Amino acid sequence: MSPAAHAPGWEWFYIGLYFFFAGVSAGAYFIGSLAEFFGGGRHRGISRTAFYIAFPTLLLTPPLLVGDLGQPLRFWHLLFHARSGFPYINLSSPMSVGSWALVLYGAMAFLSFLDNLVVEGKIEFAPFAKAYSLVPRKVYAAVGSVAGFFIAGYTGVLLNVTSRPLWALTDPLVGALFVVSAGSTGAAAIYLVMKWRQIHPAPELEEFERFDRIVKVIEIALVVAIVVAAGKYAGVLFRGTYAVMFWVGAVLLGTLVPLASNLYAHRRGHHLRSEPAAGLMAYLVLLGGLLLRISLLQAGQL
Amino acid sequence: MPKGMFVDTTICIGCKACQVACKQWNVLPGEPADFRTDPVEKIPVAVNFTGDSYDNTADLTGTNWRRVRFIEQFPENRAGGRWLISSDSCKHCNDAGCLNACPTGALVRTDLGNVALRQDVCIGCKYCLPSCPYGVVAFSHETGTARKCTLCDERIHNGLGTACAKACPTGSIAFGEVAELKKKADARLAKLKSLGRGKANIYGYKEAGGLNVFYLFDDRPSVYGQPESPEVPQRRLPMTSAVTIAGAVAVGVAALVAFRERGQSDRGGEEVEK
Repeated sequence: MSPAAHAPGWEWFYIGLYFFFAGVSAGAYFIGSLAEFFGGGRHRGISRTAFYIAFPTLLLTPPLLVGDLGQPLRFWHLLFHARSGFPYINLSSPMSVGSWALVLYGAMAFLSFLDNLVVEGKIEFAPFAKAYSLVPRKVYAAVGSVAGFFIAGYTGVLLNVTSRPLWALTDPLVGALFVVSAGSTGAAAIYLVMKWRQIHPAPELEEFERFDRIVKVIEIALVVAIVVAAGKYAGVLFRGTYAVMFWVGAVLLGTLVPLASNLYAHRRGHHLRSEPAAGLMAYLVLLGGLLLRISLLQAGQL
Repeated sequence: MPKGMFVDTTICIGCKACQVACKQWNVLPGEPADFRTDPVEKIPVAVNFTGDSYDNTADLTGTNWRRVRFIEQFPENRAGGRWLISSDSCKHCNDAGCLNACPTGALVRTDLGNVALRQDVCIGCKYCLPSCPYGVVAFSHETGTARKCTLCDERIHNGLGTACAKACPTGSIAFGEVAELKKKADARLAKLKSLGRGKANIYGYKEAGGLNVFYLFDDRPSVYGQPESPEVPQRRLPMTSAVTIAGAVAVGVAALVAFRERGQSDRGGEEVEK
């Protein structure tokens, strides 16, 4: 931790949005993969929807990442050394490892997406359908979910492993918070898309509610721990625009309200909230996940 | 053998010849003015220009790679007081946060131990900025890249010293082999101590794995605006990674608990229906 450390000047509309979309994509992907692995075929609705979300959402991120660079056309230096042309990785740099993880995850998300299209008969190019099925979908779901967890978490690690006071003092918690938030925003995205695709068998939605209850509790615990850890530098989370984003947006609307509504419905014995309520809560979770990332990113640069 | 600089702040006279020499050798333009409307006077003011101190750079930036810090400690009535002056730049740490963070290999350590920033490789991701505990590396909007002191990479690889050391009229900035410079620093520290300047200390023997550019201060490092215990952020990486993985495992377990047990109870329900 060092107050002298320079702020990087990362823009919320590039890096903040990138953190969010990468989190939703990766969160959806690993929930989809877990459903694929352990659902015993009962959760095809979840895993298919997850794979439909993961890749298109991920496609939004490269322009955001490249846009924030001072020399956008040199983005390929992240993967290949500019002078030698050989693949380059710096294992002590979360950004370098993250770039490669993004390539790996992108490839797996693409394959799962393709798999969906073939299985659902939206692509009927036979030779292709044959070739892709040589690798069982569980292989890329496995590799992709590990890479997905990495994508969801490394953005927080990247902030933690710096000398900026807020980010350094909240080390090692932001990575974990972003993973957990990726889980809940991913689940919310799956829920909304399932609703939109009109697949909603009741037991699956019940399971979403249950999952949401668990991750929201972890998320609140991590938020409390982060504010305590920030100590005297937590002040930036209590003043100005980013304080409103953090407390009203991320904590209240994004976490406490959805959790309260979930618990209320649960205690009254309804396993499910009414559909409009559940839909609204899913939107709030997504909004909260976005504001959580923007506020922590920007407050750390004040 | 690593080369570096020993900055004896006790004999710095604040002439800023080092700042000028640095700008000339490295062809660095003047600092662009950052005009903002002053809330009181309602006129545009260049907020990055000091005007209230002999310190005219205020920070190390993409165009100011050297900064002569003036620590002006005077009481209101101007009776007594003191002036501390220290010429500050990149410290070329042996465990450099910027170098550890660089995702492209633009930051390199050369055979002489200095940390250089290759301008043709840098993509301007700005990750080195928050990774330097000293606030040295800065982003230049003119070049779209990060920039900092290179210890005059091209000069020292051709048998010359750094431009700032060459220009220094008092010998406050000395360039040379780090081992030799340390002997010089120790001797100077012993001399100051014998003169009764008990707070004198050398900054940079232990910090960040040892600094190739180190300082002799007359007071605590924080008085000179340097962090007392600078931390190389990447040393925390194993712990951060472990906790993040634990977070991932927690989400995984949550998903399994939520999606599995409920499924079993559903099956139970089906049996009852039958």
